[in-house]
Amino acid sequence: MSRLPTALIADDEPLLRDSLERSLARHWPELQVLAQARNGREAVELFEQFRPDVVFLDVHMPGLNGVEAARQIGRRAQLVFVTAYEQYAVQAFEQGALDYLVKPFEEQRLADTIGRLRERLADTPAAGAPLSASVLEAAIEQLADVLRRPAASASSSSGEGHLQWVRASVGQTLKLIPVDQIDFLRSDEKYTLVVWAEGEALIRMSIRELIEQLDPKYFAQVHRSVVVNLRSVSHLTRGPNETADIHLRGRSEVLPVSRSYLHLFRQM
Amino acid sequence: MSSSHPVLPVPVPSHREAWGGFVASLSAKRVALTLALGALAACLLDPIFITPLPVLLGRTLFVALLGLLAFSAAGQWPRRLPRWMARWLMQVVVVVLTVPAATLLVYLVSVGGDLTALMRSEGRLLGFLWIAGSGLLVAPLLAMGALYRQRDAEARNESLRFELERSELERRALDARLRVLQAQVEPHFLFNTLANIRALVETGSPQAAPVLRSLISYLRAAMPRLHDETSSLADELGLVRAYLELMHLRMPDRLSYMIELPEPLQRLRFPPMALLTLVENAVRHGIDPSEVGGRIELGGETRPGGLVRIWCSDSGVGLTQSVGSGTGLRNLRERLKMFYGDSARLDLTENQPHGLRAVIEFRPQ
Repeated sequence: MSRLPTALIADDEPLLRDSLERSLARHWPELQVLAQARNGREAVELFEQFRPDVVFLDVHMPGLNGVEAARQIGRRAQLVFVTAYEQYAVQAFEQGALDYLVKPFEEQRLADTIGRLRERLADTPAAGAPLSASVLEAAIEQLADVLRRPAASASSSSGEGHLQWVRASVGQTLKLIPVDQIDFLRSDEKYTLVVWAEGEALIRMSIRELIEQLDPKYFAQVHRSVVVNLRSVSHLTRGPNETADIHLRGRSEVLPVSRSYLHLFRQM
Repeated sequence: MSSSHPVLPVPVPSHREAWGGFVASLSAKRVALTLALGALAACLLDPIFITPLPVLLGRTLFVALLGLLAFSAAGQWPRRLPRWMARWLMQVVVVVLTVPAATLLVYLVSVGGDLTALMRSEGRLLGFLWIAGSGLLVAPLLAMGALYRQRDAEARNESLRFELERSELERRALDARLRVLQAQVEPHFLFNTLANIRALVETGSPQAAPVLRSLISYLRAAMPRLHDETSSLADELGLVRAYLELMHLRMPDRLSYMIELPEPLQRLRFPPMALLTLVENAVRHGIDPSEVGGRIELGGETRPGGLVRIWCSDSGVGLTQSVGSGTGLRNLRERLKMFYGDSARLDLTENQPHGLRAVIEFRPQ
């Protein structure tokens, strides 16, 4: 390799970009840092523009994160991930063939990484070059998977994939109603009346559309036009002709249960 | 008592439940009591009967047991009763009808099913009247007693259920407190901030010292304070300011903020970490995921009527999937209610063109 090696640094924190650039200058003077990117999207754009040999990618960036950017850059550069504290991610790095730095990084650790990068850049034609495509892709996939996991488990606690908030305009403001605070929904032609612990609002969504997105563990349709949050139900009273009325905790409203939905309450 | 399965008084039980209820109401204690009373009746009636005691005993026991069965069955069937018919009345009526019917059955068996033979035998007729009569005298009273005790047990169960529910609420409140106490300082936040401070130190930036001060005051405020149940809004504000300073250092181009809280409000008692939760949410879910970032504004006012309103508004990305389940906010809502009572509320509204506005309202104590 006759020309000088080049690099791109991507991190959303400016001080850390500069800090890495300075450290690199100390330990690897001939490396030219061609550009700094502030997020994943910029990293990919600048990569396409400059085609550097090495890309330092912060794992956590707005827009496109480091792993997603890495996926787009693929094996066209040596990738080094930079992360603050991602214990699971570090495991993935260790198993995979990707290099990584943990912030704040130790000088010795950076020197090791530089050593490896130099070797790989030097014997590009030999030793199968950096990494085979499949190994790299597998490692990135594994990393992406690991990074997704903690977030997913945090949100799954109350029913993954179900609606958590209902948007409703109240006067001039668009209010966010937490779904678990909703007591019941009542359809009114095209609109739906949402009644929750602290108010009522009309939303422009049919009750049928809504019920599909609500967690069936908690929300039950009890009437053609009524959906109730089972957690708000206090008791049921039977009416004539196989109907019943639902009484709610701390509310005076009484909701009808029509014959075809009464079975919902039989096995409870 | 899980909140996911509300306990509903059942209007119409299923067949299986009815059977279950029937079997459950035939408790060993009830059967034993019934047999004992049947035996007692036989002993009391024995002097006036010619029939040998074992036969008489067989008859009274049979009548008593049949009465118990009828009582239990009427407790479950028919599964639907007409509105005017109360279940307890139904049970008493059934018992009253069963006793003479069962006695008649016993005597019919003894005369080989010949009703006229029974009518003609004065002794048997008298026996029938004695057994049925004494049964009729005692059985409804027993039935009422059993119903009374049952109602008592139900009331006890109910109060036990309330007790459970209350302790569940207390547990959740404690949980919420513990969650606040632990892991406020995320390693990710800490190491990133330290990396920034190191960068400042390396370049000899004069900013290093004030930033380090901010980190120290943030850490001091965010450390678990088990015995420090309450803090003032001013304390909370110090914590929030330190946090925002640090975040601003990390993303100077993406985060700006303004804090404007009237002096009198700052003296109010405030649950620790409540304001920080809102600000952290705004940074984590609003500013951090945005390439262009945004502005966070913190404010407060006293409303007419003494209600205090405090808000945290950001111009970040607004509500996305990343807001997740909102456990943090639910948690905060619970803590506010514990702290200020039911007058406290937390509302979330969307900002235009994007961003979120969280408003806490409460009546200071």
